Amino acid sequence: MTAPLTIPLTPMITDRRRDGRMAVADTTERLTSGNPEADYILGGGFPANSINIIMGHPGSGKTIFAEQLIFENAADDRPILYFTTLSEPLAKVVRYLQGFQFFDETKLGTQVVFEDVGSELAKNGPDALIPLLRQAITTLAPKVIVIDSFKAVHDLAESVAGRRRMVYEMTALLSAYGTTAFLLGEYTEEDILIYPEFAVADGIVEMSRRRLGNRDERYFRVYKLRGSRYLEGAHAFRITGAGLDIYPRLVSPQIPEGYEPASERISTGVTGLDAMLDGGVWRGSTTLLAGPSGAGKTTIGLQFALQGAREGERSLYMNFQENPSQLVRTIRNLGVDPDEAQAQGLDLVYASPVELQIDSIIVDMFRRIQQGRVRRLVIDALGDLASAATDPQRLHDYLYALVQHFAVSGITSILNFETVGNTIAGGSMQNAMSYLSDNVLLLTVDGEERTRRSLRVLKTRGSAHDTRVREVEISAAGLAVLE
Amino acid sequence: MTSVLLTRRESTERDGRAVIVIAERDRHVRELQLYFLNTAGFAVEFADDGQGALDRLRLDPPALLITEILIPKIDGLTLCRRVREDPALADVPVLVFSILAAGARASHAGAVAFLRKPLVESTFLAAINGAMMTTANPASPASPANSANPAVAAR
Repeated sequence: MTAPLTIPLTPMITDRRRDGRMAVADTTERLTSGNPEADYILGGGFPANSINIIMGHPGSGKTIFAEQLIFENAADDRPILYFTTLSEPLAKVVRYLQGFQFFDETKLGTQVVFEDVGSELAKNGPDALIPLLRQAITTLAPKVIVIDSFKAVHDLAESVAGRRRMVYEMTALLSAYGTTAFLLGEYTEEDILIYPEFAVADGIVEMSRRRLGNRDERYFRVYKLRGSRYLEGAHAFRITGAGLDIYPRLVSPQIPEGYEPASERISTGVTGLDAMLDGGVWRGSTTLLAGPSGAGKTTIGLQFALQGAREGERSLYMNFQENPSQLVRTIRNLGVDPDEAQAQGLDLVYASPVELQIDSIIVDMFRRIQQGRVRRLVIDALGDLASAATDPQRLHDYLYALVQHFAVSGITSILNFETVGNTIAGGSMQNAMSYLSDNVLLLTVDGEERTRRSLRVLKTRGSAHDTRVREVEISAAGLAVLE
Repeated sequence: MTSVLLTRRESTERDGRAVIVIAERDRHVRELQLYFLNTAGFAVEFADDGQGALDRLRLDPPALLITEILIPKIDGLTLCRRVREDPALADVPVLVFSILAAGARASHAGAVAFLRKPLVESTFLAAINGAMMTTANPASPASPANSANPAVAAR
């Protein structure tokens, strides 16, 4: 699993009290979920001694999430109790558990205690859960109690009044004792209004799955978490051998106090283009580079990244179309030694948009940017990201957040966008991106007997620019603006 | 752990077991307290409110009073102060065990120890042992040096 974003975990909430001293409001003791990204989303983890519901359809990943949590928390102090209520034999539970890296056989039976209470509940009704819990508390002193599935217990109740009584009793017992409880269940969103456990829960986490063509998209969402600043919205995740690999949704950065855009121009690496832009692009700016296939977008993008590498700046080239060896050949064709460029700071990353969710692509890119102290970035091309996004609004939100992060962090970017024909007008994405970008460049291709390529600056923010359509030429030295 | 108490507080025993009076309304907290304290060798009596607890203490001072702050008639902190003001109860230590984070207020009211809910067997018993090792009256020569520090017992 990759490391989480390097955004400070659990921002301390402070306020000034009447006596003038600073009070730290978020002193809640927390229980880790065993998953760094989930903890980040939860604002540091689940509040200790809370009652939480993990809801989701069968196969949504909630049991895996709970199992990762219990094994990561298992230690010598107090055990963890896992009640299974669906008469699923322990042997079956363990068989599937063994496939995960967090599974530790040596903890079973001592630090992690599985107990099948299904038959007892089926025989004596849901009220039998209370004495079972009380007995477990007095004999085991568990620091974590998982009931999987709690909805199944609940559904055994014969009346609404019976349900409420059982939930009330259980809540009162669990609140009296110092333990953190997780109630798993195949609840739907509608159930939140109906089932009484949702009213008493301190935390509600939902795992969902959406089918998309041949692949599934999974999402992790916090509905409620008392006393916590959690990250709202749906966070994509995958299930791997290490458990859940969650991609916290990228949100717009807080603009730091005293933030001022950089007042430094940097070279695009394209002969003649800097002059058209009044001396290069502003550091931290985003440039949308649009044009049809074969117009020279990849060439400009590579020249921009190579220029960065030459100047000792880490430059990330995110590419969704050509695999790394194809790209290396293109670089060599530009007369540059790819190994030397990579040694200088060029980072070529290929991702297949067919296989991935937009969340994983964006979050992975963002991690690389933060960890590698990237100064220049090229995305080739935005359309590929769009095809990986099921929801255009989600893509737009991501791009907006990214552009903001770039501006604040002084990362200069070129975003390539393939148009149909020589015009940028049309789709909502083009419009949105033109609006978001500081600069918009349009490449066009014409000519019957000879291919004529031209470049035009449609927009620059905060500088004068050449308004003419300029002919460009691609040679062994790259793309150049003709005099 | 009870052997120490037996020699120190002979008047506070019942059937050879140290008596603890608990002012607590929550039925589940009571059940757990009763179970853990009985298992640890204590005799336990409950009071529903502060006045009831005070009446019970005056009848026959126990080895320890445990009180929640949020109880009817007389709140736990007032109860604590009344116990401290009563010369007949001067030797009864008080442990405040509450849902509120009120360690400083409990100490100020004269409690020898404070513990925040919810109940965890190990810290609960450690706090009780600490409280009973401490004499209620800090002026007493038998007082250990750390008796006024609630954190010692609450740890």
